[in-house]
Amino acid sequence: MFATPDQGEYMTNIARASLESALRARKLDRTLTTALPPLERRDETTVVPVDVTAIDACLQGGVPRGQLSEIAGASSSGRTTLLLHLIAAATRRGEIAALVDSLDRLDVASAAAAGVDLDRLLWIRGHELRRARGPGPRPQTETDSCWALRPGPWAHLDRALKALNLVLQAGGFGVVAIDLADVPPSTLRQVPFTTWMRIQRVVEGSDTACLLLTSEPLARSAGGLTMVLTGRTTWAGGSARSRRLAGLDVRVRVKSPRRRVDGEAGVGAFAHDFVGLRAEAKTALRPEA
Amino acid sequence: MFGALLAAEGTLPGALADVAREFSPRIDIGSQPDRDVALDLSGVERLFGDARTIADELRRTAADRGIRVRVAIAGTRTAARLLVRHRVGLTVIEPGNEAAALAALPIALVADPAFTIEPHDLLATFRQWGVRTLGELAALPSDDLAARLGADGLMWQRLARGEDPRPLVPSMPEERFAQSLDLEWPIEELEPLSFVLSRLMEPLSVHLERRDRGAAVLHVRLHLVKIDDTTPEVHERSLQLPAPMRDARTLRTLALLDLESNPPPAPIDRVEVAVDPTPGRIVQFSLLTRALPTPERLSTLLARLHALMGETRCGSPALVDSWKPGVFEMKSFAPVDANVVQASGLRPGPALGPEAWSLRPDSKPPRLALRRFRHPIPARVRVKDAQPEYVAFDRRGLSGGGVESCAGPWRTTGDWWREGWDRDEWDVTVSGGTTYRLFRARDTDRWFVEGVVD
Repeated sequence: MFATPDQGEYMTNIARASLESALRARKLDRTLTTALPPLERRDETTVVPVDVTAIDACLQGGVPRGQLSEIAGASSSGRTTLLLHLIAAATRRGEIAALVDSLDRLDVASAAAAGVDLDRLLWIRGHELRRARGPGPRPQTETDSCWALRPGPWAHLDRALKALNLVLQAGGFGVVAIDLADVPPSTLRQVPFTTWMRIQRVVEGSDTACLLLTSEPLARSAGGLTMVLTGRTTWAGGSARSRRLAGLDVRVRVKSPRRRVDGEAGVGAFAHDFVGLRAEAKTALRPEA
Repeated sequence: MFGALLAAEGTLPGALADVAREFSPRIDIGSQPDRDVALDLSGVERLFGDARTIADELRRTAADRGIRVRVAIAGTRTAARLLVRHRVGLTVIEPGNEAAALAALPIALVADPAFTIEPHDLLATFRQWGVRTLGELAALPSDDLAARLGADGLMWQRLARGEDPRPLVPSMPEERFAQSLDLEWPIEELEPLSFVLSRLMEPLSVHLERRDRGAAVLHVRLHLVKIDDTTPEVHERSLQLPAPMRDARTLRTLALLDLESNPPPAPIDRVEVAVDPTPGRIVQFSLLTRALPTPERLSTLLARLHALMGETRCGSPALVDSWKPGVFEMKSFAPVDANVVQASGLRPGPALGPEAWSLRPDSKPPRLALRRFRHPIPARVRVKDAQPEYVAFDRRGLSGGGVESCAGPWRTTGDWWREGWDRDEWDVTVSGGTTYRLFRARDTDRWFVEGVVD
């Protein structure tokens, strides 16, 4: 006796549901297929909101916790702005964040202006790759020895990755980011792919959203996502004398096949205070002034 | 039944307390710790005999230690202390007779700092009233005394009657939390030392837990083998811990990480570990906020990061009250658990879907950030009509080119009294699309790139 087409479809669905259930039970769904619908709930416990409505809508809530995601973009694409905004949102919610700053690029005034609660940010500073002699006094503090001793880029990157590993293993951080944006691509290519897999394994199952800040997509976990940013500087003022930097017009392209997030968001202009970030820093120091 | 001991001046510190502890575990050290001790003698009659015998024994024991001491025994601590200040030798008062025994004593005894009576000018008031003895003070009507002098007057009267103002709070002997181990063979490397430290830390941790104490400071003393004349005898390290902790593994790891950064110069033949105790930590967790890492875990993480990156390369950034570009300071990372969910204004909406998160109404748009070069990079800038026209860099990774748009100059200067800064700042977008913040140092007329607007 043969089954009718309806019965056949029903049986197929039953078989497929059983198969998917078995795969999920053994946690094999992440590796064998990306076609299964996500099981995670989308609330504060599973995502870290960026706190930008357009991007959060595109990301279906925010950057997933327990996954390795990345923010990629060229210089002046708004990637650092977006990362600091995300960290600021996390610290406002009472979470703590860590930034592994592999080449020591963080501008503290920018972070304060973005709204980051600096007391809740663990900043791990690497060293600059090469120290050109700039104006001002030669530093007399902790890195004098490093002035003469210039380890290669790989040594910097290696230390930064070890620091990232330590922070992720310690746990308890809402957001852990590593800034690799200015690391030369040739150096990044030396990182074995197993390194990213190891980081992915460390972060998996935790409440931490791990983020890579890179110049081009590098690595992300199956459940993570990639935000590729392109930016265009916008200027205000008609004449040369009145012209000032108004902000950045940023477009974010999101890729995450597993989470079925694949879209594009125009964020509009990231505002820029032409008076300078230092003024905001001063204001932050004296809120009552 | 309480006793009071008053020793002659010049008694060795702690000697009188040791004598008292031989008779009772409940002793109260007075305002002059070396001279004045009160002890609770309830129940010790079965061991030593009646009150007179106990007083004799107390004086004999003190004399054996070379301490000349007055002894008074009475039904209350206050009565015993007042009597021992007035009478030499042994004084024993039967319980219930305190008021009568104290009646003839001068009122000035209550003004002694041992009784912590404030204000002392009440003494002058009582003298004006013609009250000279404790008996006269005790006989005053309490209601009228309270109406005129308030609670202080009543307190004076209670003391004059020999009543205790508060129960006895026993003074506990200072406990030492330390462990040491002599090694049969000197240790040269840190890995075998970790086993030794584990062995020392575990009993120390148990001791701390038993007393509900945590370590505030960890001291590690390593006695070294003498190799030559320059070798120090002891290599000593002290770690200030960010929070009281007593976990043996954490303490061992912190000690080891510190010794990795500051290794001993010679093999070790004796290890001593001690901690400065502090009351244990009481943590109230919240159901509403995400728990922060425990101080033990955070301390271990920071110690590992310090060993990896450098002592001053990890922590929280902090703003500095200065207009100097790029100035900041590093603080130790010590986040405070705070319930900020309500304060944040970010509230979770219904789960699933793009509308899952709603932005608080006053949420600011993202503010443009600068990627700052900690040491500005020299740039070659061609200027036309007082504006940058072309920018080039010698540094690989920075793309120069023709200037598409620019804004400036914004002149900043400061710290002129020392090596300060004096410069014109420009925001410049080059043909590749990158926007830099450039500045021209006015003293040298050289151009630098301060950072990338990103």
